[in-house]
Amino acid sequence: MSESVNHTDRANTYDACPGADIAQESPLAWSFFNSGAPAPRPNSRVVLRELADRDHLILRGGAIVLDEAVRQVFGVSLPARPQQLVVFNGGVSSLQWLSPDEWLLIVPFGQAYRVETELRQVLGGASVAISDVSAGQTLVELHGEDLAMRELLMKSVAYDVHPRNFPPGKGVTVVMAKSSAILRRPDDSRWELVIRRSFADYLYRWLLDAGEEFEIGVDRNS
Amino acid sequence: MRQPNRLNQGGRIDRSQRLTFTFNGQTYQGYAGDTLASALLANGVDIVNRSFKYSRARGIVAAGAEEPNAVVQLGESAAEQVPNVRATQQALFQGLSARSTNGWPNVQRDLMGMIGKLGGKMMPPGFYYKTFMAPASMWMTYERYIRKSAGLGRSPSESDPDIYDHMHQHCDVLVIGAGPAGLAAALTASRSGARVILCDEQEEMGGSLLSSRQTLDERPADKWASDVLEELADNPDVTLLPRTTANGYHDHNFVTLHERRTEHLGHTAPSVAGKRQVRSRMHRVRAGRVVLASGAHERPLVYAGNDIPGNMLASAVSTYIRRYGVVPGNQLVLSTSNDDGYQAALDWLEAGREVVAIADSRQAPKGELVEAVRAQGVTIIEGAAVIEAQGANRVKGVRIAPIDVAGFRISGAVKEFACDTVASSGGFSPVIHLASHTGSRPQWNDELIGFIPTLPKGMLVAGGAHGVYELAEALQDGANVGSQAAQETGFEAVSVMLPSVKARSDGKAMALFQVPHDKPTLRAPKQFVDLQNDVTAAAIELATREGFESIEHVKRYTAMGFGTDQGKLGNINGMAIAARCLKRSIPEVGTTVFRPNYTPVTFGAIVGRHCRELFDPERYTALHQWHVEHGAEFEDVGQWKRPWYFPRTVNGKRETMHEAVARECRAVREGIGILDASTLGKIDIQGPDTREFLGRVYTNKWAKLPVGKVRYGLMCKDDGMVMDDGTTSCLAEDHFLMTTSTGGAAAVLEWLELWHQTEWPELDVTFSSVTDHWATMTITGPKARDLLAELSDIDLDREAFRFMDWREGKVAGVPARVFRISFTGELAYEINVQARAAMHVWKALFAHGEKYDLTPYGTETMHVLRAEKGFIIAGQDTDGSVTPEDLGMQWAVGYDKPFSWIGKRALTRPDTARKDRKQMVGLKPKDSAVVLEEGAQIVFDPGHAIPMPMMGHVTSSYYSPTLDSGFALALVKGGHERMGQTVYLPMADGKVHEAEIVSPIFLDPKGERQNV
Repeated sequence: MSESVNHTDRANTYDACPGADIAQESPLAWSFFNSGAPAPRPNSRVVLRELADRDHLILRGGAIVLDEAVRQVFGVSLPARPQQLVVFNGGVSSLQWLSPDEWLLIVPFGQAYRVETELRQVLGGASVAISDVSAGQTLVELHGEDLAMRELLMKSVAYDVHPRNFPPGKGVTVVMAKSSAILRRPDDSRWELVIRRSFADYLYRWLLDAGEEFEIGVDRNS
Repeated sequence: MRQPNRLNQGGRIDRSQRLTFTFNGQTYQGYAGDTLASALLANGVDIVNRSFKYSRARGIVAAGAEEPNAVVQLGESAAEQVPNVRATQQALFQGLSARSTNGWPNVQRDLMGMIGKLGGKMMPPGFYYKTFMAPASMWMTYERYIRKSAGLGRSPSESDPDIYDHMHQHCDVLVIGAGPAGLAAALTASRSGARVILCDEQEEMGGSLLSSRQTLDERPADKWASDVLEELADNPDVTLLPRTTANGYHDHNFVTLHERRTEHLGHTAPSVAGKRQVRSRMHRVRAGRVVLASGAHERPLVYAGNDIPGNMLASAVSTYIRRYGVVPGNQLVLSTSNDDGYQAALDWLEAGREVVAIADSRQAPKGELVEAVRAQGVTIIEGAAVIEAQGANRVKGVRIAPIDVAGFRISGAVKEFACDTVASSGGFSPVIHLASHTGSRPQWNDELIGFIPTLPKGMLVAGGAHGVYELAEALQDGANVGSQAAQETGFEAVSVMLPSVKARSDGKAMALFQVPHDKPTLRAPKQFVDLQNDVTAAAIELATREGFESIEHVKRYTAMGFGTDQGKLGNINGMAIAARCLKRSIPEVGTTVFRPNYTPVTFGAIVGRHCRELFDPERYTALHQWHVEHGAEFEDVGQWKRPWYFPRTVNGKRETMHEAVARECRAVREGIGILDASTLGKIDIQGPDTREFLGRVYTNKWAKLPVGKVRYGLMCKDDGMVMDDGTTSCLAEDHFLMTTSTGGAAAVLEWLELWHQTEWPELDVTFSSVTDHWATMTITGPKARDLLAELSDIDLDREAFRFMDWREGKVAGVPARVFRISFTGELAYEINVQARAAMHVWKALFAHGEKYDLTPYGTETMHVLRAEKGFIIAGQDTDGSVTPEDLGMQWAVGYDKPFSWIGKRALTRPDTARKDRKQMVGLKPKDSAVVLEEGAQIVFDPGHAIPMPMMGHVTSSYYSPTLDSGFALALVKGGHERMGQTVYLPMADGKVHEAEIVSPIFLDPKGERQNV
């Protein structure tokens, strides 16, 4: 497809994922280099880990057709309830409700194009938008002591993170410090943040600063 | 060291922990558990400050937040200074160092005091305004000296060494105040399962229970308090916040709490295991229900000399004796209008000191406490009050007289007594500040002799805060309200066994505010109403005589209730006096508005972590590290850090910005330059109605743009003014990629969503931001094709890949989309790759680009290059008042599109068709060495008298190395018709620049260079 562009399709699908032979940098690469990454210690009550080996897609369209397609491709239902998060594929993949016609799909690294193609195939003529945003955001996991994680989040986000209001299986787009993030709770042992690449350094520095009292550590093995 | 007023036993202090502190340079000792105020009283320190206006000696009056006088400056070094700390709220710690905020050269011998004494009579309300009113221009000078002689604390002159933060809290029930009512409310609410936050401003929770004479379940009252607190602490859904003041109540039950986490430990937060601790923390609480259990402040009586050190609130006397084991004097006289005041006398007697006399304004008082005091043989003078306290630096005696309250006169002979302490009680004022922060006006209650809150939605009140003072009733009230709050937030009520209280039979209290004197108010010795702001009863009377009738005007004229005090002790008395003078009732006079904050909040807590390197988000591109490593200077564009220019070091000398930019410009015009354009907003638009939608939000046409093509688009607001611009590419029939300006990205996406969701929901189209997903590298210059050809499999033939085309293919082995668009006027390719591979591609371009002298350039060079071509920057060359036609961009407006587009209607108004609108032109300074100032005003006739008619202004101006001249873009009235005319730019320094109006396209008007 380098000669000219002649898509007959309604939408342009393009496997733009760089190959494994290409040096790649996660959104937190600069932060680890510039701000450092304190190694987790025995007294670290919160540990942060970037899960960079994921592809992210935004799906926009009607819930009914998308649900059908998602069932066929992944064997899970589309999270149709507001703020619902569904985790599958051993916790690596997930689907999250973002707005009444918008979902975030996270799959293993390098699968965005294949997933998009499969979904489009199943969707046929239905008008659903699929946008690859893999390189534009990153998944950050927090694990550790319940209360320490909760307090770290209370310092950072205005949203109520008490388990009564934020049970596992929930995900919400929140104001975080002076930026925003998607905050999710895949299970009761950890929290996840989806943060945009350009804001990642600010939010990383924020978390290190706010996490200082919890001896926050950064796990570089993702 | 002796503490002369310290009792050998009693109180909640720890006598085994001796603490040394200094006050005004003198060293004293106190105990752990003391406040600074209790320790000062224990040491017999009478004078703690000088008053604000008259510089009178002042002592400690109260034991809590209502203290008006003992306001100190805390800290030793310049960095740790904290102004306006109430000694009554500051826990004592080892090494504490405090000074009085007022008084020069010191509080004991104060020069201003002499002036206050001599000039007191000559300093009526409005004194400063009246005296220093002329000439008006001198006020700034006067003010400096007035502030020096008056004024409260001073701010630190060095950077704060401490850290602060915020905590976002959510709860079902927030209970403010941990006295009997608050504890009962928190207990019931928590037992029903609600999430509860209980905050209290004192060092210890328990409120009046900590110094009460009453028993609960036949045990000391504080034992019950500690049992309850223990239970609450064990409940994971209860947050206890001691040392935390609820300072502001805002709409929708949003409450700000200020928690002082280490201020009881040191001037600055001590580190723990090498870790910084947060000194204080702002809790931003969103509560389902707020229970106001803030209790009540005792109201002092207003009598002559009531500000001399030794005058105290009766309840404060009790608190100091019972809670801190400190008797603040030897001989007490009590002046009261109610039974509560007698507790002070009982505590004083128990401490083994003398009660000289009690003046009770009531006839034949009979309550239980009264009888208890009478039984000890104390003289009780009935129907009387202390009309004057005498002394200078400490009370030496009082004058007591029978009073006729209705007639506001004394009704019998004055008796004099020697004493060193006067306790007064005029009853209690509910602490209703928070309830009125959102604007509700409190109501006067004659029975309670006080204002009770009018509750905002979502707030409940318990205990003394609405006049339920009796202990058993306050507990029951708290339990009921706690239960109600839980029910209202969705929990089932549970019943709670409350402790038994031996009921106390009190006599009826009497309304007494200002005590009459044997001289009329205006001639009597000063009777203070607001001690912190030096407002006297006479001042209020004078204000009413001068025609100030509204209490809000009286407040502003006299300064009553101003400052950090916010009228905690004085406001009710002041209103009562105003009511008496105006011959109205108190409810008719009304009350002033209380505002947040209830007590001062340190700036650190307000700022939290949002300071220094975390002050604002800094957004970085995927190439940031390279830019840093290559010495880029950065420019803030929105929140982005963009390379501004890349200075090189030539022969050991670092280039100036001018030199670097000139070099970068030449590289692009003659060779090849590279720009990190990743910050441009990118929006992925999909759906069968995409073209239709684009046609409605852009001024130009989109129906027929073929796949593989790029088009420039101009976006107007509905007022017809240019909002943003950018290129949009057709990726597939129903799939487009829109670019926006760097700063406009978020606003444009919101704009698209707004119009789609509210106006055209029938259009099948969606938007997703892909700004951060794609990194964009622009290579531009005559050699751009040569370089790209070395790295890409895309056919770059000028016929196959034309200007305003885009292609897919690999660049440096990475799948890319390459857009042949140009913001420099040169041959240019914008290479888009996934941001995670951006550094690889960027470095590969440099590896191959070395032989072409590939030159990185920044935003400054980008600006120069685009301006030479007359390309606008929305927001720099436009300001929300510029139409596409003003810019000479009629070519980008499709008036004949079938469906109306945003801005079309506005562009048919006569005003947007005016010939003399400000229009975009180029300016060529007559002296080519001149670079005009951006923002400089343009006039047609420099000889015109000032003010000259302003005919336009410069929007962009640079030096062009290509033109070897300064040049500018400008908006000039009727500019399009004025080509070739000379305009003038008078500068602030008197110089007048001359420039010629020319086309805004300074270079290559036919666009041949970008089409090669």
